[in-house]
Amino acid sequence: MNHAAVLAGRAVLAAALLGIWEALPRLGIADPELLPPFTVAAATALEMFARPSLRADLWVTTLELLAAVAIALPAGTLLGLLLAESERLARIFDPLIFFLFSIPKSIFLPMFILTMGIGFWQKVAFGVFSTVFIVLMSAAAAVRSVRPDHVFVARAFGASPVQIAWRVYLPSMLPILLEGLRLAVIFGFTAVLLAEMYASRTGMGHQIASWGENFMMDRLFAGVLLLSVIAIVVNETIRAVEARCGHWRQ
Amino acid sequence: MSPRAIRWTIIAGVLVLWEVLPRAGLVPVLFLPPLTTTLSVAVTEWRSYGAALAVTLSQVMVALLFAVGGGILVGAIVGGVARMRQVLLPVFSSLYAVPLVVLYPVFTAWFGIGSEAKIAFASVYGFFPTMLSTAAGIQTIDPNLMLTARSMGATPVQRLFRVILPAAIPTVLAGLRLGGALVIIGVVVAEMLISSAGIGYLITSSRTVLNSPHVFAGVLLVLLIAIGFDLAMRLLEKRCAAWSGAGRARPGASDVRPAEA
Repeated sequence: MNHAAVLAGRAVLAAALLGIWEALPRLGIADPELLPPFTVAAATALEMFARPSLRADLWVTTLELLAAVAIALPAGTLLGLLLAESERLARIFDPLIFFLFSIPKSIFLPMFILTMGIGFWQKVAFGVFSTVFIVLMSAAAAVRSVRPDHVFVARAFGASPVQIAWRVYLPSMLPILLEGLRLAVIFGFTAVLLAEMYASRTGMGHQIASWGENFMMDRLFAGVLLLSVIAIVVNETIRAVEARCGHWRQ
Repeated sequence: MSPRAIRWTIIAGVLVLWEVLPRAGLVPVLFLPPLTTTLSVAVTEWRSYGAALAVTLSQVMVALLFAVGGGILVGAIVGGVARMRQVLLPVFSSLYAVPLVVLYPVFTAWFGIGSEAKIAFASVYGFFPTMLSTAAGIQTIDPNLMLTARSMGATPVQRLFRVILPAAIPTVLAGLRLGGALVIIGVVVAEMLISSAGIGYLITSSRTVLNSPHVFAGVLLVLLIAIGFDLAMRLLEKRCAAWSGAGRARPGASDVRPAEA
C-alpha cells in the first residue's frame, strides 16, 4: 500500500470511530447523559479552554510535569552515564536498577502523601520517582549504542576528547536519549494526573476526578478529550524530532 | 568483595536502616514505620488483608481475561496482517501516549464504584501494551514458515491457528507477563482512587487516618504479588524458550517498554 492509501485508511478509521461516538447517543442507543456525543464533548472542551479557571488547572499540571522532567532528566542521565561508563558500578547496580525499573510505581503514591502532604512538590516528587528510572535506562542504553569503531576512527584522525564527545557520542546517543525523554514525558504525565486525582486541590487530574464524582459527563468527556489530544500532540512532536536526529542510522 | 556481595550488603543495609532510622527517631514513624512493625501488621491483620486481597485478585482474574485475551487476539491480527499493520500500528502507538488513568472516573460514572468499573479500567489499562507487544512479536516469526504454509494451500484461518499462534507462544507469554502486571496495578490503582473494597481501598483508608504501618504493609503485599507474578511468568517463559528460537527470524523486541509509570 502506498502512503496516500495508508493515510486514507487511517482517516476513514478515525471518522468511523468518531461517527459511532456521535451516533450512539444521538440515535438513543446509548444514554446521552452517560455518553455525550462527540460534538458536544468537543464543543465543551473548546468552551472550557477559553475559561481562565481551566487554563489555571492545566497550567498547574503542566508545571508539575515540567518540574518533574527537569529533575528526572539530568539526574537519570547522569546516573545512566555513570553505570554505562563504569563496568564495576554496572555489575553491582544493574540488577538493582532493573528491579526498581520494573516494579510498579503507582502503588507508592500513598507513601508520598504521608511524607509530603498533597502540595505541588509531592506531585513533582512522585513524577520524578515514576520517570527517573526510564531516563536512567535510556541513558545507559544510549552510551552502549555508541559504536567503538566510530570512536576508534575519530581518535585515529586525531579528534580531541571534546570533539569525540560532541561529534561521535552526542549524535549516536541523541535519538535514544530523546526516546527516553519521550517516555519520561508520557509516563510523567500519567503519574502527575494520577497524583492529582488521588489527592489534590488543583490541577486537571483533580478536575477530572471531581467531574466524574459529580456526574458532569459533558465536562468529564471534554476533559478526557483535551488531555488525550495534548498527550498525543506532545508525544508525536518529540517523536518527529527523534526521527530527524536518527535518520542517518538507516 | 564481589559485585554480588556488595549488592547484598547494600540491600541488607537498606533493610537495617528501614528498621533503625524510625526507631532511633531520625525519621518520623509516620513517614517510615519500622520494618518489623510493618511486617507484624501484615501478620496480625492477615484476616482483613487476606479478605481484601481475595477481592482484588478475583477482579484481576476477570480483567486479565479481557486485557490479555483481547490484547493477544487483536495484537496477532494487527501484527500478522500486513495492511492492518501499516495502517493501524502507528495509530495504536500514538494512542499509547494517552494517560488512561483519566478514564477511571468515566467508568465509575457508568458502572458505579463496584467491581465492574475496576475490571473495565484494568482491562483497558492492560490491553494496549499487551496488544502492542504481541503485534511486535508476531512480526518476528520466520517468513519462510508463512511462505511454506501458503504454498501448501493453507487457508488464512489455518495459517493463523497452525503457524502464527504456535510460533507466537513466546510473544504471547511476554504479553501475558506485561499485561498481567498492568492489570494487577490497574485494579489496585482503581481501588486506591474510588472503591469500596480490595487491597487498594484498604491502603487508601489507612492513609486517610494516617496509619502508616497499615499503608506500608498493604503496599508491600501488592509489591510481593506483582513481583511473584513476574517471577512465575519468567519461569514459564524460560521453560518455553527451548524450542521457541526455531520459528523466529530474530529475537522479539517485546521487552523494551517499561511496565508502568
